[in-house]
Amino acid sequence: MSLSEKYRAKRYSEILHQDQAVADIQKFLREFPKKKALILYGPAGTGKTSLAHAAAKENDLEVLELNSSDLRNRLKLEETLRPATQQYSLFKKGKLLLMDEVDGVTGTDIGGIPELVKLIHSTAFPIIMTCNDVWQSKLSPVRAKSKLVEMKALDLGTIISLLLKISEQEGFNKSPQFLKQIAIKSQGDLRAAINDLESYGRLSGEDIDLNDKRVISQSIFNVLRRVFKERQPFLDLYDTTDESLDEILLWIEENIPKEYKNEALARAYYALGNADVFRGRIYKNQHWRFLVYQNAFQSAGISFAKDAPLDGFTKYERPKRILKIWLNNQKIAKKKTIAKKYARMVHCSTKRALRDFTVLTPILKQESVQQKLQLSDEEVAYISSLK
Amino acid sequence: MIVKMSGVNIWTEKYRPTTFDEMVGQQEIIKRVKSLVQALNIPHLLFAGPAGTGKSTLALIIVKELFGEKWKENYLELNASDERGIDVVRQKVKDFARTKAIENIPFKVIFLDEADALTKEAQQALRRTMENYTSTCRFIMSCNYSSRIIDPIQSRCVVFRFKLLEKKDIKKRIDFIAQNEKLNIREEAFDTLYEVSEGDCRRAINLLQATAAISPDVTNDMITMVSSAAKPADVRVVLDYAIAGDFIGARDKLLDTMLKDSVSGTDIIKSIQKEIWNLQVEPHIKVKLTEKTGEAEFRMIEGSDEFVQLQALLASFVLAGRGED
Repeated sequence: MSLSEKYRAKRYSEILHQDQAVADIQKFLREFPKKKALILYGPAGTGKTSLAHAAAKENDLEVLELNSSDLRNRLKLEETLRPATQQYSLFKKGKLLLMDEVDGVTGTDIGGIPELVKLIHSTAFPIIMTCNDVWQSKLSPVRAKSKLVEMKALDLGTIISLLLKISEQEGFNKSPQFLKQIAIKSQGDLRAAINDLESYGRLSGEDIDLNDKRVISQSIFNVLRRVFKERQPFLDLYDTTDESLDEILLWIEENIPKEYKNEALARAYYALGNADVFRGRIYKNQHWRFLVYQNAFQSAGISFAKDAPLDGFTKYERPKRILKIWLNNQKIAKKKTIAKKYARMVHCSTKRALRDFTVLTPILKQESVQQKLQLSDEEVAYISSLK
Repeated sequence: MIVKMSGVNIWTEKYRPTTFDEMVGQQEIIKRVKSLVQALNIPHLLFAGPAGTGKSTLALIIVKELFGEKWKENYLELNASDERGIDVVRQKVKDFARTKAIENIPFKVIFLDEADALTKEAQQALRRTMENYTSTCRFIMSCNYSSRIIDPIQSRCVVFRFKLLEKKDIKKRIDFIAQNEKLNIREEAFDTLYEVSEGDCRRAINLLQATAAISPDVTNDMITMVSSAAKPADVRVVLDYAIAGDFIGARDKLLDTMLKDSVSGTDIIKSIQKEIWNLQVEPHIKVKLTEKTGEAEFRMIEGSDEFVQLQALLASFVLAGRGED
């Protein structure tokens, strides 16, 4: 058994530095089926899978694991899950469905996402999913049905102290300085740190090759730093990162005004606009060759928007727009269903009803109108909450 | 006059005219439509004109006159801007047209509202559908601009152009409602009501009801207050931020505005184009900004993400605020 398996946390008390996540998951299980699914998200090696298993153990639940290709195979999914999700009287123990790395769902497996949503709807057992990036658009239908719990990257101190403990128990005899270096190299990924320790552990020396970086792709922050600070024809800059061009476009969009002012700002957004125009043409005509243009505009185009390289440190931010749109959609979901009912009654389009919603609010507040439109309790509550 | 439609306290419905004689304005159109209906046969009709001028109302009157009590079984209303694509429209038409009409009328009526929301391709498909069901169905279509309806469809329809309602027409309707609802509307309050509703009768009645919910004594100030609270997308504030050099402020405000009222990027850019001429910048810069706005609108159609193009445009306004172009 590898060390990272051997020292995997098995109970809540062994989960390091994720008190909030532990509290959230416990609340979720206690209140089930108020919310039927939960997504644990965060960087690799922060203990997402461990936490899910620990939660099962603490609550005496049996874990049933699913992977993304199970989703696609409808027959198999139904066979394995329907009995498990619906006839729980057959089993003495409760169950917990665990779907690891939902963001790994790609290609043809994406067709499984609607299945997953259906499953969340029908399940009699709590579902826990894990993923690194919860904000991908393909996950949005799942997100809407799930409680989201973030797991943060572990801090250096936590990793060092655990490495010390393991090193002692395994009799590795390594100096704290050496362990610190391993911890730094891991960038908050506990599993990576333990794996490194294992590979160096039984060697006698304490030489650690810091250039031998873990093959982690460049973080988006490094990529942004280069494109914004340097002035170079960065045509293959984005090959070094995992993010897709579309994702990078959003990051650039968010952060341009943090770096550029005035003319540079205008030039950068114009370049980004060019990238988007080509992206539109790709979508509309499936003309994938145009990707080279999208790439050129959002790399070199952004880099050369300024007259000279920039210095200093800039704290880049995660793109907020998609999140904002998502939150807004949640918020106005009720408004939309009300507008639809109203529109049918008064022979106009839902769009128009949405546009006029403020004027209509006092009209919709009348009880007789609410009854006539057959508004649900939630819809009535939404109307009452408006000014 | 007696109010026939009762039970629901939404005034646009409660006071929707149910006979030809009750309608205000559009007298020429009504005369012609009336004669068609009296012959118990109608061709396909196309109603073109601004919102709130009586297009849906007239369509409803036609089916009520034709089918009497049984109008609901013989009438299908679809809104093109809400239906998710032409396939949905066709399927619904197909299901509805499958059964024959009753009584002595050999056809059913399909009202397709906001038909100009359909793309040209979708309209071509619709034209096929119209042909297929021509023996059992009549289409009444409404649109804001008949130029957005393809010629083959126009040529299959009798086209009626609805005019913006005149002030006296709207006054007639508003007075009728005021009398029934026991409201007291001041003279200048009506003037404001007419002005802010821009000849759109639906909007005028909605505003009146929203205002009357506060007090039956309707004053000028109350109308102004209610209508300004409901003003869509305050683009001016966004542009003011940009002109003042606060790009991030402008961008945040823009996104909030768009999300709050579910306004599309194309609607925003139309407002921006109008607002340019009210800005405090040199005239030659206004011309330059108009060019940039037109360019952005064009790029929006080509591109995939409206908000990216809007940000590029806001950046041009930041430059304009510094007196550059």
